[in-house]
Amino acid sequence: MPSALKSASPLIQPVRPRPPIARLVAILAALAGALSALPAASAADPKLPIFDAHVHYSHDAWESTPPKAAIAILRKAGLKRAMVSSSSDEGTQKLYAEAPDLVVPSLRPYRKRGEISSWVRDETIIPHLEERLKKYRYAAIGEFHVYGSDADLPVVRRAVQLAKHYRLWLHLHGDTDAIERVLVQDPEARILWAHSGFDRPETVRTMLKKHSKLYADLAFRNDHASGGKVDPAWRVAFMEFPDRFLVGTDTFTPERWYYIAEHADWSRAWLADLPPDVAERIGWRNGETLFASMMAGRQ
Amino acid sequence: MTYRSSRSALRRLGLAAALLALSMSAAGEDAREFTAAELGRIAAHGPWPLPWTPDPGNRVSGNAAAIWLGHQLFFDRRLSANGRVACATCHDPDLGFQDGRATGRGLATGVRNTPGLLNVRHQRWFGWDGGHDNLWSASLRPILDPSEMGGSAQRTASVLRNDKALACHYGQAFGKRPHASDPELLVNVAKAIAAWQETLVSPASPFDRFRDALARQDARATVAYPVAAQRGLRLFLGRGQCATCHAGPMFTNGEFGDTGMPFFVKPNGVDPGRQGGIKRLLANPHNLLGPYNDDVTRNNATGTKFLRPEHRNFGEFKVPTLRNLPVTAPYMHNGSLATLRDVVRHYSELDEDRLHADGERILKPLKLSEEEIDDLVAFLKSLSPTIQMPVLAKPATLSACIADEPNARKPNDRQSR
Repeated sequence: MPSALKSASPLIQPVRPRPPIARLVAILAALAGALSALPAASAADPKLPIFDAHVHYSHDAWESTPPKAAIAILRKAGLKRAMVSSSSDEGTQKLYAEAPDLVVPSLRPYRKRGEISSWVRDETIIPHLEERLKKYRYAAIGEFHVYGSDADLPVVRRAVQLAKHYRLWLHLHGDTDAIERVLVQDPEARILWAHSGFDRPETVRTMLKKHSKLYADLAFRNDHASGGKVDPAWRVAFMEFPDRFLVGTDTFTPERWYYIAEHADWSRAWLADLPPDVAERIGWRNGETLFASMMAGRQ
Repeated sequence: MTYRSSRSALRRLGLAAALLALSMSAAGEDAREFTAAELGRIAAHGPWPLPWTPDPGNRVSGNAAAIWLGHQLFFDRRLSANGRVACATCHDPDLGFQDGRATGRGLATGVRNTPGLLNVRHQRWFGWDGGHDNLWSASLRPILDPSEMGGSAQRTASVLRNDKALACHYGQAFGKRPHASDPELLVNVAKAIAAWQETLVSPASPFDRFRDALARQDARATVAYPVAAQRGLRLFLGRGQCATCHAGPMFTNGEFGDTGMPFFVKPNGVDPGRQGGIKRLLANPHNLLGPYNDDVTRNNATGTKFLRPEHRNFGEFKVPTLRNLPVTAPYMHNGSLATLRDVVRHYSELDEDRLHADGERILKPLKLSEEEIDDLVAFLKSLSPTIQMPVLAKPATLSACIADEPNARKPNDRQSR
């Protein structure tokens, strides 16, 4: 049984007469247990921190929303931290320089927008990655898009090697086939699966069960929650793997920076439908543990 | 009050039609053959006009007195805070009930392009963001909106009470005289204005005649349709995949999409589009879930009932009808594209990076040649009628209303047209 389910399960024991003090202690304990089993009131608090694992800050974003304004948006949204990648990487660096306490940089293999589909066959991407990795610190390589057998192309293989060499995560937007191929290349690779592959919760669970170093973000998807209520199939996934999910906005256009705060609130609303510890882990603790602490160690 | 004949509504359409007619002479020489699959898809864009049915959510839909009242009120500037703005200020009959501006201007300048009103009865959602699920609610909002007309229930009631003709027709339509305290007064006024707008149906276009000719296998009649428009039609159905969203006789699926248009609003903000529209709609007491819906079955509220904003809705805007485009420039939700050529070019050079990789998969840059752009524009222009819109019945006079009062129709009576 998953650990989160275990802790929430009621304990059924035979009832025996107890002395008054012991009875009081038992009542208080029962009350505490009952409260902890309730939906997370604290998670509904608008101050619940959020680790946003899926933020882009590409050239058109920094042109329309300069770094100071962008950081103000993140702070106003109540984000504890945001993992940011951009096309080009300049955007990420600008933002990281503005708020190193808030921004977790990830290196996107795109020098400009428009390389989403072409990068896997563009060998000039390799020196670009190598140079940036020598020059700057990152927590991950990504978000990048790769599907199926393209994951075995030389450029992708090199990106996987570089992640291994620098002990970085891969923020991979792709299908299960691509994930499997990358993990054949490096069985120890740590992958954050963007959008949970837009796959069904059952498939996501299967993948998480199979690959212990696979994690999944929930960016740009709504199927896991509606009206502040978690979908039953997704609830099973969250309870089974409370340490493996993260939330994210996905600011794929500059306008979407103005959706970050609303997305954070939307996330808080459905997280409040989970037990508090699970809500906190998915909301921010997983991100802190996996990425922020990694950056801190490098400073 | 100004009465403006809708005779002028398609005057500008006539200009476009004249240009179109010039190119028709060559059409017969090179009529293109369409495949069976294409013919089926062409047929799905008609017939036109669509059968008219009353709006079940509006008990005066099709009611003659309500139509008269709505017609008058649509042009009545007294409903506005400064007495200078009417519905028709932004919805100009000469411009397909649009205003020709990039963004509308009532008491203040807005952030969205004013939508045209021709064929509005056949729409499912109203406004670029679908912030309304019914036409009367969409007609009520601008009356109260401080940046549009800035009116009030009291002002509207006062106008109605002090104008014998309006009061008479209000009484005929709703079975009671207007009272300032009547909480339904504004809703009723909006329902009357909606009833009139529902009568705005554009006549058949060259495309419609071509489509009908194909359907009845009248080869002779098909040759009147310009060859350029036929080539554009083939692009529209085929490589362009335009018909996926611009479907059916209205050339719209009635839903919303992100077509890569920027949606920043100066100075520092965005227009959330459909995402904000859904939130606005669900919070609106005048939606179809509310007490003012006249459909006792509530069958017309099913779509609203299950509506929830999703991330993808942020920056989505309504897929507009493609009918009557020559008179409703400029285009897109913010009026940022001045001409039809600009619109086609937008899809030709689409910035895929503005679309989510797992979102609007159907949208790809079309990479059209200049000739292909010409063809698509010719096709789009062919969706507008070449004849003037039929003149609406002459409005009844006060004496006619009073004379009719003993035989006044019951409020729930509907008239067929």
